[in-house]
Amino acid sequence: MSARRWRLAAAAAAAVVSTACGSCAGDGRIPVVIYSPHGRDQLTLLEHAFEAGRPDVDVRWLDMGSQEVLDRLRFERVNPQADVWFGGPTTIFDRGLRDSILAPYRPAWARRVDPRGVGPDDAYFPVYRTPAIIAFNSRLVPRSKAPHDWDDVLAPRWRDKVLIRDPVASGTMRAIWGLMILRGMRTPGDTAPGMRWLRRLDGQTRSYTLNPAILDQRLARGEGLVTLWDLPDILISRAKGMPFDYVFPRSGTVVIDDAIALVRGAPHPDAARAFIDYVGSAEAQLLAARKVYRLPARKGLSPDSVPDWVAEVERDMVVARVDWATLARETTGWMSYWDRHVRGSGATER
Amino acid sequence: MGVLLALVLAWLVVYPLLLVLVEGVRGGDGWTLEYVRAFLGRATEWRALWASIWISLATVALSALIGVPLAFLLARYDLPGARILGTLVALPAVLPPLVGVLAFLFLYGETGFVSLLVQRVLGLTDPPWRLQGAGAILLVHAYSMYVYFYLFTRAGLATLDASLVEAAASLGAGPRRMLWRVTLPLLRPALTGAALLTFMTSLASFSAPYIFGGGFRVMTTQIVATRLNGETELAMVETVSLTLVALLALALLRGSRADDSLAGGRKGAAPAAVPIRRPWLRVGLAAAGWGLAVVLLLPHLTLVLVSFVPLGTWTIEPIPPAYTLQNYVTLVRDPVRARPLLNSLWLATVATGAAVTVAVAAGILSVRRRVPAGRAIELLLALPWAVPGTVFAIALATAFSVHAPWAGRVILVGTLWILPLAYLVRDLPLTSRPILAGFRALDPALDEAASSLGAGRWRALRRVTLPLLRPALMAGASLAFVTAFGDFVTSIMLYTYDTRPVSLEILGSLRQSDVGVAAAYGVVLMVISAAVFAVGAERGTGG
Repeated sequence: MSARRWRLAAAAAAAVVSTACGSCAGDGRIPVVIYSPHGRDQLTLLEHAFEAGRPDVDVRWLDMGSQEVLDRLRFERVNPQADVWFGGPTTIFDRGLRDSILAPYRPAWARRVDPRGVGPDDAYFPVYRTPAIIAFNSRLVPRSKAPHDWDDVLAPRWRDKVLIRDPVASGTMRAIWGLMILRGMRTPGDTAPGMRWLRRLDGQTRSYTLNPAILDQRLARGEGLVTLWDLPDILISRAKGMPFDYVFPRSGTVVIDDAIALVRGAPHPDAARAFIDYVGSAEAQLLAARKVYRLPARKGLSPDSVPDWVAEVERDMVVARVDWATLARETTGWMSYWDRHVRGSGATER
Repeated sequence: MGVLLALVLAWLVVYPLLLVLVEGVRGGDGWTLEYVRAFLGRATEWRALWASIWISLATVALSALIGVPLAFLLARYDLPGARILGTLVALPAVLPPLVGVLAFLFLYGETGFVSLLVQRVLGLTDPPWRLQGAGAILLVHAYSMYVYFYLFTRAGLATLDASLVEAAASLGAGPRRMLWRVTLPLLRPALTGAALLTFMTSLASFSAPYIFGGGFRVMTTQIVATRLNGETELAMVETVSLTLVALLALALLRGSRADDSLAGGRKGAAPAAVPIRRPWLRVGLAAAGWGLAVVLLLPHLTLVLVSFVPLGTWTIEPIPPAYTLQNYVTLVRDPVRARPLLNSLWLATVATGAAVTVAVAAGILSVRRRVPAGRAIELLLALPWAVPGTVFAIALATAFSVHAPWAGRVILVGTLWILPLAYLVRDLPLTSRPILAGFRALDPALDEAASSLGAGRWRALRRVTLPLLRPALMAGASLAFVTAFGDFVTSIMLYTYDTRPVSLEILGSLRQSDVGVAAAYGVVLMVISAAVFAVGAERGTGG
């Protein structure tokens, strides 16, 4: 390469770098950085709605799994980049609390939500409720033939037709696994019946999928017919045209409290608090319910204003009694046992 | 100078890993071997480790079987369209992570094109296979990693001295004897480099085993499962075990390469392409070559197809029922969504430039001047491949999250610079392997000739050494750029809002089941990567 070409290449590289860095600077608004697993649709929605009321704030979100939020916040403890942790089951917020990455903040709407989901010393507050459900491909399975309870999924006709989101990585799946073990317990600590149930489920399972997107694809393409998953994700996919439908298990389901918290050492705490206040407001709760199928944690919303699907869910959903303290304490051990001894062992047993 | 470079590399490569190792054996109160014992006592851990090892060995064998003959065929024989073919067969390297795997699902999954076709043709009621288990992993590995053997062998063949081949021929060596006694020994640095890269990449490979593994566990998937489950210390021990295997492989492969100086002089040009005289053979080979190219391109074509499919329309039909440009429009219209592309461009550019500079410096110091620290430098440069990307990300995040300048630690986490630094570390083996091999194949006499003719050090480097190294530089730089450009495993831990790269945007779209937009990003990523490779191949081999 000639000297001229070298110079040209160097100039091009410099141009790429400088244009990229030039736009790093903000536009004078206060940036609020949010780490959240809630996904583009919901985050864009709330970003625009919030910025409409606070033109001086620039909401910037990064979309990631709730386990990744925890990991990142741990690493960034010495140089926090995020202001708000928005989304994830309260059990994972508890781990964040132990790693002291949360700062207490009592939002304006604190008294409107069930105190069961509130973290110790106001560390986090529940924003949405996420029920687990049984979902199926509605184009290939008529609603009347779909399984209507957890045990129905073990029927011979669903053998090799069940798709499962990798349970170790997912808060929803961990909660379902926990429920299966808890409800099988006759004496405290007796996990054998639950594990036996999960082994039979493993025998029915066609495959464990890496992420919800692949789960959606395979379910839509009929590579499996039934899955256990959470309500908002199925409703969103259905609204986007996926052939999905769901049932609430008759014997009762687990409902996860989905929380929000202020990050310790947040660079812009005031704007962060304003955002947290907004997310739990009646306006934002209804917006999320209407547009992205989030079940409000806030109580006392006027019945006329909530969308129909919320009323339907409140009518049909049977909530199982769950010992959350045991769940929070034991899940890690259970999942580890399941991963090592149950996963992949059901096929040989049947 | 040599010591200085070795120290900088040690600070970048080894120091963060040591810090992680320390965390692995330190419990809440003091040192503990509890987790090491837990690891050693579990049969599942041993099984996963063994699976990692044999899968990697099989991947090396398969990749060599595809890549080396292909490189010979395209570099040595005058086939119709050999130039285009030569670029096409390198394309598996530009299939972006995540969406690439998705393309495999659309093709060979249970309701994929190929599976459906086979099912229809054979009149089967069930899908002919399941893309699952060790076989599926090996398929994906061989598909994506033979490129290392292919590129390295081509680079090696391009610097091969025709006069040696001719000398052997005039001494009466037949083609077979020539291959075993002349060509392959001369190619040994390139082949060892490729084997090492393939072994390490396969050992560190995560998406393929995770998505296609089913119940079959390798160590990387085991580590992630353990980490996700919150058993951080056990995961650290698992990581250390995997790293040890990799280091062992590194030591074995380096030990086997006793006399590098074999590739002594390069006086003449590379051997000219051999024309194939028999027409049927010519047609047959060309057809086989193009057939292979089509098979290799199927995942890319699938990705392009998917990028034109509107959301939620393609479910149980064999081919998409509707098409749209909307996915691309989305990507261009919204500045927030176009941004990651610019980010990835500048991050990869910076990292590649730095990695090439370091590799050239290492070549001069270790191969040319034979400084005492040379061996250490080369080892340090190869080391990052011995460590899974995730682990490096954790290590860098650990090392650079403390402000202690006296201990060589500053806070980089959360800043712009941690990501280019991570890419640089991951790129080091990619640039240094071919460039060091290139330096070895260079005749030091040329450099001496330049200086005896009055050229200064820089002038000799710029006018003699670098032009001669061009194939190696281009091979290294294009691999490094493409790797950094599409990187996923390191980025996911270290990116910030201002440096969010394309792969994370793809992940975000996938999380929303926006397969079309994810595929559109994937296509853009692929086109840019392919362009870089094409330029690299053009400038590197052509002229």
